[in-house]
Parts: sequence; structure tokens; C-alpha cells
Amino acid sequence: MLGIVGFLWSPWAQAADFKFPSVNDWKQADNIQAFDSSTLYEYIDGGADLYLAYDFEELKVAEYQNDKKASVTVDVYRHRTPTHAFGIYSQERFPGANFIEVGVQGYQEKHALNFLSGNTYVKITSYDTGPEDQAVLLSFAKAVAGNLGEKGAFPSLLAAFPAEGKVKNSEKFMVRKFLGYPFLHSAFSADYEVSGKNFRLFIIEGKDQADCRDMMEKYLEQLGMKDKTVAEGQYTLSDAYHGEIDLHWRGARIWGILDLGDPGLRSKYSKLFEQELQKRK
Amino acid sequence: MKTTLAGCGGLFFLSSEAKGQETKIVESRGKERKFVYRTLGRTGLKLPVINMGVMNSDNPNLIRAALDSGMVLLDTAHGYMGGRNEETIGSVIKGRPRDSYMIGSKVSLPQDRSTGLYLEGATMEEFLRKLDISLKRLGVDHVEILYHHGVSRKESVVHEPVLKAMEKAKKEGKIRFAGISTHMNEPEVVHATVDSKFYDVILVAYNYQQKHLSEVRSAIARASQAGIGIVGMKAIRGGHRQTPSVQSAAAALKWVLQDPNVHTIVPGFTAFEEMETDLAVLENPNLTEDEKKALQKEASLTSLYCQGCRQCLNQCRDHLPIPDLMRAYMYTYDYRNLALAQDLVLSLNLASRACQDCSQCSVKCSVGFNVPAKIKDVVRLKDVPSEFIA
Repeated sequence: MLGIVGFLWSPWAQAADFKFPSVNDWKQADNIQAFDSSTLYEYIDGGADLYLAYDFEELKVAEYQNDKKASVTVDVYRHRTPTHAFGIYSQERFPGANFIEVGVQGYQEKHALNFLSGNTYVKITSYDTGPEDQAVLLSFAKAVAGNLGEKGAFPSLLAAFPAEGKVKNSEKFMVRKFLGYPFLHSAFSADYEVSGKNFRLFIIEGKDQADCRDMMEKYLEQLGMKDKTVAEGQYTLSDAYHGEIDLHWRGARIWGILDLGDPGLRSKYSKLFEQELQKRK
Repeated sequence: MKTTLAGCGGLFFLSSEAKGQETKIVESRGKERKFVYRTLGRTGLKLPVINMGVMNSDNPNLIRAALDSGMVLLDTAHGYMGGRNEETIGSVIKGRPRDSYMIGSKVSLPQDRSTGLYLEGATMEEFLRKLDISLKRLGVDHVEILYHHGVSRKESVVHEPVLKAMEKAKKEGKIRFAGISTHMNEPEVVHATVDSKFYDVILVAYNYQQKHLSEVRSAIARASQAGIGIVGMKAIRGGHRQTPSVQSAAAALKWVLQDPNVHTIVPGFTAFEEMETDLAVLENPNLTEDEKKALQKEASLTSLYCQGCRQCLNQCRDHLPIPDLMRAYMYTYDYRNLALAQDLVLSLNLASRACQDCSQCSVKCSVGFNVPAKIKDVVRLKDVPSEFIA
């Protein structure tokens, strides 16, 4: 019950009451479509699977048209938490996109603008908007963001990824089956490019130490190391699918480095990551 | 080709072998394995009967493992993950011999969601613009199959701008074969595709729990006999039309492959263990007797499931949330989870005499549920003290 009360008082509850804004020179169609987890397939077909994995709760869709018959469609996807909304946003974000300051972050391209705000992921598309296209999309984005209330921030754990060599805007939140293993649940990751080498840092936040122990035991079993004693500390593992992985387990966190063969660089980034994580205990 | 039908309760098992089916010894991550191959209709492409639906995977090592294990065709779309899906595939295939893999991608154009018909912006130029972006993301100069994505109406099958765009792309060598994908109103779309004489491949939702299964199967057979390559999808997870209770993914895949008119399927997987299941089916796609029995049992369970068509919502005089009540019924009798069912029923804030006062019910369920009987049954949970259930 306390959890429910907490939700009702949280800033993200505003998103559930979201109202589409009025935008100058644009007329909103009368019907606002709404989809829940059982009907999202009707709107985005098989694409719904991924949204549902990120605890999708509701989609509201509004259409706008102007006198010149140009049209704009605004899709507001509400997810259970801001982290889940970031997760689905991060799955679709290109690191090299044209980023803009709307909500926590957004980006735009021809006929499309996407942004993240609190526990919502907003996707705006346009048709026949002519040379004003980008300005039109931006004005809609600002108006929608204004009605969504508190924009929130990126998940705080992202700040723990070392800045040196990090590919900007490459951070992701994978909600389940991290590395393709069902026993490893959600994880954050970021891509790196250092001295021509591309690799990835990741961190899994378990519920508690026991949860991380369980993940470690299952992972070692997967790698045919069932008999190895599982204890907090560092592991260098040889994974048939992922190659050599440096893995660290401490308390309720497991973190590591993927796709990096250079032992010196692995050691350097292990230390850098650990230092950053210690600052954020 | 001799085909026999056997079965009961509407779920048929076919005993047959597809024309052009063969077994190949394949190097699969350091092991020799025998995989079953079929020919994709008139395209002549020889494909393993299971390939990878990449759609929900952002894991390059999983895609790499699928190719290294012997899968050949990677199924994606311009719109999956906002384009990141094609980009991830591009990072995996970079440097691999071009004849060691095939790509099937899809391009969609603006549609009216309620009618399935195209809007004004559905132009040839837009289609080709998207194709060019897809090729760039993938890092290739052509794809083997380009699908006209997500078609649900016969009028849209022959939407001229798409046909012209496909023709132009073929001439320019950007696509080898023109395909069409459908997961709604499939029989109409498949028949219209055959009639159009334009397409080489159909990607179609096909699974043993579809309520219009016999129509889908007949349409697929007609298309296959016309020489069109058939790729099956949604064999395990059928989107909003399918119940959530597929107990055996392998059996569900095998059930589709027992139809000789299906040449390959592209199940989506996001875990290595799921890939291993698919590879085992690729070695032996024949249903065991136990799997047949399990499928029969599951097919009979569809009578417990609301198909979510929502047609009933405007029919009920009291505007009862019928799909939710049918879900509660499913929780009660299939999931055997009375607590979940009671939570749902209580959350609906039903009037005290819900579904008690009508002498005749105006609801006509599309799958023939006796809606009032099921509602009267399940709303009894309202009056059961929670401590008796938990």
C-alpha cells in the first residue's frame, strides 16, 4: 500500500494525467487514441515486444493538422519508471544523432523527433511540413515537454562510467537477459573507443549481495566452472560467445569489460570504473 | 508430394516433406551438424528452415553466434529499434564474405492505422529514401529480400508507389527479391499477393493458435504453389492474437515447419539458450508424439483465452470491461492463480450485481465465448475473503 501511495505522490504520476498541448496554427483531431499493454500491438505490431519488455504502461497518440494539410503525430509512451523509459529510449538512440535540449534529452531528424522526459518516451513525426519541418517538430516537442511536468534526469548510475574514451550518448539500459543470458538481469552499459579499440563497460545492479551471488553462480555454471568457489572479487572469464571478460563482483554490483583483448587497457579501465563506483556507493 | 492430415480439435498435424527439402552438413561453431534446408520458392535461395529474427536483439555476439552456428538469413526492418537493429547487424557482417549471409529487411510507409490504407505521404521517393538509409546502416549495397512492411489490406498490396519503388530498386541491384509482410488479415493479403503476380516472397504470421488458422494455411498453400517463397513469423509469440501460454517453443516451431509450404521461419531470440533450441529444431524439425500431445492440449486451452479483439466493448449494455474479466477467468482456470484473478476483479470496481440483471445478453463474442456465463462465474471472486485465497 505504501508503494502505491508513493507512486501517486511521485512526480511521474503527472505523466498519467498528461494532456496534449494546444499548438498555434495547428488543430488537434478530436480523438486521442490510447493503448495499454494488451493493445499496443494494434499500433506498432511486433515492435510492441520491446516496449513491453521495458515495462510499458500506456501510449497516448494525438494527431494535429494545419491549414496547409501538413500533419504531426505525437506518441507519448509511458513506462513504469524513468529508468525503463530511458532503457527503451537508449535502444533507439543513435550516438551520432542531432541532439537537442528537450526533456532530459532529445534528438531530431527529418520528419521525426524523439525525446525522454521522466518516465515517458515521446516520439513526434511529421508529414508535409516543408522547409519548416525541424522548427515545427521542435515547437511541438517543447509544448509536449511543458505538459509532462518534471523532466527528471538520466539514471544516476550512468555517471559512474569513466569519461575517458567513452562514446558520447552510447549509454544503454538493457532490461533483461544481459549478454544473452536469462540469469543475468538488467544492466547499464557504455561503449568506448580508445587507441582504435572498441569495447564496452557494463554494470549489473542486483537486488542485494545474494542476488549477485546467484547470478555469479549461474554464470560460472554456464561457463563450465560449476566447482569454482564463488566469492566477491575479480574474475577473468573465457566465455564461448563473448570471448574474454573481466568481471568484478562486490556487494550488490557486478561490473566488467567486454570485447577488449588488451590486458593493460582492461586493467586500466577496471580500476577507473571501480574508482568511479566507489564514489557512488 | 504426399500430404496427410491427422488430428482433432481443429489442430492438424501434417505428415509430409517439402519439395526441395534437403539435409546439409554444416560447420556449426566448430562442430559438424546436419541441418534441414528448403528452397524459398522461385527465388531459388536455399535456406536453413530456421533463421534469425533479429528484431529485439541488440547483442552483436548473439547475431554473430547465429551466423557462426549455421543460420544464414537475418530478418530485420528499417524501423526496428529506430534503425539501431540494422546498424547492429551491419557491425556483425562487416568483413564477412557477402555470400555467407543473407539479409531480409522491410520498409513501411505512412498508413492509416484504423483502415490499413496508405496516406498521402506513401510515395515511391519515401520508400526508396528509407531503403537507401537501411543499406547504409547495414553497410551493404543490396539486400536479398526487401519486404513491403506490415500490409493488412488487399488494396495496399498493390499500392503503386511501392511496386514502382521495388521495381526501380531491383533494376538498380539494391534488392534481389521483392517481398511483402503481413500479420493482420493475413489470408486477404496473401491471396492479393498471389493475384498481383508481383512479389517473390511472403513473410506471414503463422502459428497453431491462430483463430483463422485454416484460412491462413490455405492461403499459404496457394501462394507456395504459385511459386512464392514463404517465410513464417510469430511461430512462438503471435502478438496480440496469440495466447501467452506456449509451453514448448520447439514444438511451436516444428508445428509451423511440418507445413511443407513454409520454406523457413525467422523466430526472434534474445538469449543463447533460445538459439540452441532453434538449432536443435533445425537438425530435427519432426514433431515427437509427446510434442503433438502437448500442442493438442495447448490448442484446446485457447478456449480459455480472450483474443483481445475488443468488439464486445460496445455491445455490453452495462459497458462491462469484458476483456479484463475474461483475463481474470484465464488467471483462474488456466494459471490457477486465484489471487491474481481476485486482484484483477477487485480492481475493476464492478457494480454489486454485475452481469446479473439482463434477461438476454447482447454480446456476441468473436470466438464464441459464453461471456455472461464466464463473467458470472469469475465475479464470485469479489465476495471471497482474500485470506482464503492468498
